[in-house]
Amino acid sequence: MTNKKVAIIASNGGLFDAYKVFNIATAAAATDQEVAIFFTFEGLNLINKEANQQLAMPEGKEHFAEGFTKANVPPIPELLAMAQEMDVKFIGCQMTMDVMGLEKEAFVDGIEVGGAVTFLEFAKDADVTLTF
Amino acid sequence: MNADKLLDAQGLACPMPIVKTKKAMNDMETGQVLEIHATDKGAKADLAAWSRSGGHELVQSIEENGVFKFWIKKG
Repeated sequence: MTNKKVAIIASNGGLFDAYKVFNIATAAAATDQEVAIFFTFEGLNLINKEANQQLAMPEGKEHFAEGFTKANVPPIPELLAMAQEMDVKFIGCQMTMDVMGLEKEAFVDGIEVGGAVTFLEFAKDADVTLTF
Repeated sequence: MNADKLLDAQGLACPMPIVKTKKAMNDMETGQVLEIHATDKGAKADLAAWSRSGGHELVQSIEENGVFKFWIKKG
């Protein structure tokens, strides 16, 4: 069976955005699909070692915190580690990192840093492409 | 139904039951049966879809006192 490919662009940096990205990514990886995520603009928060420990809820939605605990939803760093364990490829956007003055060291280990073409090369024959 | 291995995924939210199932299946041989217990309501549709897309066979699924039980034969 040939593996399907899933290409994801993560361009938003809130807690809800992080769950959308990592839930789809881990579910796809667990279904034997090859996954790459391109983190750009605020999406870089999701792989920022410090920022991703305390991602913000959308304004006015803070009351959902209780729902997350009650539903036993895993914390983002845990989902991220799981995604990496299943070989999900993380690509950090070089241009955004330059704009924000961030070095590769600010991010979780194992990321690749590249430009739009690095992602497009992976995405060009992807079976599913998603943007969050 | 007889199973070769039991996975307790109760209390776990999406996508954990799928991730755990995948990991458990990795250590099994073709033809062996994995029994999964989950409380995530989404797992019912998800494990069926997961089995189909991975070439596994969802042999049986039942609900018992709020626990969803699945038996999947590795393909």
